[in-house]
Amino acid sequence: MGRKPTSSQSGRQSPPRWADRLLEWFVAPHLLEYVQGDLHETFHKQVIEIGPTRARRAYIRAVLHCLTPFFAKRQTAEPSRTIEHKYPKPMLSAMLSNYLTIAFRNLWRHKAFTAINIVGLAIGLATCLLIVLFVLHELSYDRYHTHADRLYRVTLYGRMDAKDINLAYAYGPTGQTLLQECPGVEAVTRLRREGAFLVKHGENIVKEENVAFVDSNFFSVFNFPMLKGNQARALVEPNTLVLTETIARKYFGQTDPIGKTLSMGNLGLFRITGVCEDVPSNTHFHYDMFGSLQSVKTGNKWLASGAYTYVRLREGYSIQQVEGISRGFVSKYMASEINEFFGMTLSEFLKKGNGFGFVFQPITSIHLQSNLDDELAPNSDIKYVYIFSVIALFILLLACINFMNLSTVGSAGRSKEVGIRKVLGSVRKQLVSQFLTESVLLTFLALGLALGLVLFLLPSFNALAGKQFTLGAILNGKMLVGVVIACLVIGLLAGSYPAFVLSSFKPITVLNGRMQVSLRSGWLRNALVTVQFVVSIGMIIATIVANQQLRFMQNKKVGFDKEQVLVLHDTQVLGPKLNAFKDDLAKLASVIQVSKAGFLPAGSSSQSVDGIQIQDGARSGVYRTKSYYVDDDYLSTLGIRLAQGRNFSKAYPADKSAVLLNEAAVREYGFKNSPIGKQLSTVGDGTEGSKQTYTVIGVVKDFHFESMHQRIAPLLLFYGGDNGQLALRIRTDDIPSLLSTIEQRWKAETANPFAYSFLNERFNTMYQSDQRIGQLVSIFAGLAVMIACLGLFGLAAFTTHQRTKEIGVRKVLGASIVSIITLLLTNYLKLIFVALLIASPIAGYVMSQWLRDFAYRIEVEWWFFALAGGLAILVAVLTVSYQAIKAALMNPVKSLRTE
Amino acid sequence: MKKTVLGELEEMVLLVVAASTEDVYGVPVLEQLQQQTGRSFTISAIHTTLYRLEEKGFLTSSVGGATAERGGRSKRLFSLTTEGGRVLLEIQQMRTRLWEAIPQGKFQLLGL
Repeated sequence: MGRKPTSSQSGRQSPPRWADRLLEWFVAPHLLEYVQGDLHETFHKQVIEIGPTRARRAYIRAVLHCLTPFFAKRQTAEPSRTIEHKYPKPMLSAMLSNYLTIAFRNLWRHKAFTAINIVGLAIGLATCLLIVLFVLHELSYDRYHTHADRLYRVTLYGRMDAKDINLAYAYGPTGQTLLQECPGVEAVTRLRREGAFLVKHGENIVKEENVAFVDSNFFSVFNFPMLKGNQARALVEPNTLVLTETIARKYFGQTDPIGKTLSMGNLGLFRITGVCEDVPSNTHFHYDMFGSLQSVKTGNKWLASGAYTYVRLREGYSIQQVEGISRGFVSKYMASEINEFFGMTLSEFLKKGNGFGFVFQPITSIHLQSNLDDELAPNSDIKYVYIFSVIALFILLLACINFMNLSTVGSAGRSKEVGIRKVLGSVRKQLVSQFLTESVLLTFLALGLALGLVLFLLPSFNALAGKQFTLGAILNGKMLVGVVIACLVIGLLAGSYPAFVLSSFKPITVLNGRMQVSLRSGWLRNALVTVQFVVSIGMIIATIVANQQLRFMQNKKVGFDKEQVLVLHDTQVLGPKLNAFKDDLAKLASVIQVSKAGFLPAGSSSQSVDGIQIQDGARSGVYRTKSYYVDDDYLSTLGIRLAQGRNFSKAYPADKSAVLLNEAAVREYGFKNSPIGKQLSTVGDGTEGSKQTYTVIGVVKDFHFESMHQRIAPLLLFYGGDNGQLALRIRTDDIPSLLSTIEQRWKAETANPFAYSFLNERFNTMYQSDQRIGQLVSIFAGLAVMIACLGLFGLAAFTTHQRTKEIGVRKVLGASIVSIITLLLTNYLKLIFVALLIASPIAGYVMSQWLRDFAYRIEVEWWFFALAGGLAILVAVLTVSYQAIKAALMNPVKSLRTE
Repeated sequence: MKKTVLGELEEMVLLVVAASTEDVYGVPVLEQLQQQTGRSFTISAIHTTLYRLEEKGFLTSSVGGATAERGGRSKRLFSLTTEGGRVLLEIQQMRTRLWEAIPQGKFQLLGL
């Protein structure tokens, strides 16, 4: 049965060698002969029939088909049919179990080493897992809708007076017009929000923030399955309402809510016609009450109406076609309105550089990439997804480097084992697979620990990241399979270097006793340690910069006094009684002043934007400016100072048509001399009656009425307090008793819920997401440093151990303890210094990019880098010095005795 | 007898072996099957079936001559056993009984 080698035939004419090898390895010997023969025969026939290329492909396919248990099963009971395989080969698993036993024994013997290794890797893995959870969740926004790839949101881009306007909604009629004019548009649905509602059910009044008004086809465009009620008919009539499951339970418990009614603020009674599933958290809006759009006025003018508009395209149509058609809308539908609102013809309007256009955003990109005015909910930023992915990779890299370093280093003690194994006939391949098994085993032990850590840390991580992950998110099939595969890869990659170093030992040198771990791997270890410290130092620098910026924002003079200001919410419910209530509160001993403050510079407040026309001599211009409506107590209650002129006063009846500007507005409008006494008028909604003229009576100093991400914009303050909120300047140490006093008075007036907040807390929440990032980065930086130090500790333990004799000799020759410690430390200090040099420019660049997001920001200063470097050095010295001091104090007699 | 339960492929392979005048091995069985049914099969499926039939006692096998295009590898040649023949007959009889049970004129009614 001698075989002629098939390779003697020309290469193209023979089946692929690797496939043959695979077959020979896989198929049981007693079957191989015949299967392979048949395969070859078929192959040669096919070469003639369909050509060599396709025949080779067919051969591979046929071989792959042979990879079934039937062919793999070795013969056991019967004596072998072929003489060549007299001795049964041990199964792969037999060897594997031996590897595992040895691995466990080894790990157990070096407990400290193993612990450092596993803990380091587990921390890395746990961090990575959490970040992966976070990133996957961020990426999953709005992807669960049935036709998510064909859903778009129509947004508005405009240019007015050389300023860009980017709005998250579109004009009211846009949706219908798109549906009529674009054949590619399959469905259009709209959503409007009308702010918060005081919902009355029986005697209870509850404030509901998340109320939306939507078209009747809303539930067929988006995937929020209806649990009760008719999906298509539920929201056709006015004053109908669909609740989410949670809200339905909140109001009606277990009873069926269909047909029941709720009173929605000033819109009256709404009948409940449906219950839908809760809106998933990975949606770009968070509503739990949906009223029919018919219940609210939408307006039919283009320029004076707005609704969040979503379109679903038909399959095969591109959004560019729709966008092209929408470009015609301005001239087709808006020309007359432009005339009416701006008092100029369309061509004049366009000539001035003004314009409108619609932008179509894929719905899946809204959460991460959209940052327009009036978003439905604050969106995240793709930047953070990148930042966190990079951090996760870095931390994993650190942990892997540790793992490699420690394993290589730990190999020193195992050189004799390798030598003996080799002498006894172990081949290199077996040694490599033994060490790989060990590293994979270690990875999986670390994974177990990491899962425990994640379980333990999940609640605090949720609080930090503002998410609600459960353990189920990690333990679902897909994620778990991914994690296990990732661990396998990590184990193999991280274990490969030590495995190859170990298995390359020469038995003679090793057994001769002269073997030290070859120094040639020294540069690699040094490089790896440097990389670890580059990452750690970089992250320390990032932490310092982020925290400095946060502190800067919190301590910057904001132009108003945010301490000791209490804000009462929803005071408009008091109606005509408000003034009396306000005066009442002002009489309290610990209350200094009270103001109607619907508009506040921090936290949720009313919004108002007006078109402002300036008449300054011959010059005139139209500006879009934000405006506040305040009363005469407002400035003193909030501690805003006047730069010029006077405050509103009850003494001047003419103040109804007076206005205060901030300094930014004075600059913007370009008043040459004092602006006091100058006139400006509002554009209103374009009609003559809505225009009003105001006289400037004063200028207030600039204050930060928006977050510090933006420059202070021009602002107008009109006279006429907004009833939405009351601001109280208080002076008391006993806030609880003051609150209870106020609450009693509130309860005496109304049944509505009593709600309050403090201005400084509201101010801080504006920077919550920045703070969150700052905190996360510092935590990750801490972790990175910790992992790096664990590695360093192991490494130091090893190198000092290696130099025991050298140290002994040095001591005998008269070296002092200090000089020996210095000797051991300098090596590491050099590495850290190099790492600092590499990390500083990179981190400096990245962080100055981050700072660009803030209109008011700190400069990156040299001491940030010095501090980071100093910290790294301090930590490293502390880590290494334990080992160094131990070595230096050792009695040379002991260390030299071994010879 | 319980073992008479044969899968479709098993039955066809057994028939092909029965139909050939001399002992056959994998490749001719495969070719015959593909010719007769117009479907494609893989060598591995054929081999699996042949060995299973041998295990059930419907086929016996011997080692046969090698050729150059097989790279000098020998063939495993299969032939039908009495048991195998009996099973085929049983199946045919069972089929005939089923055919006879079809009422007259049924196919005409279906327009066949």
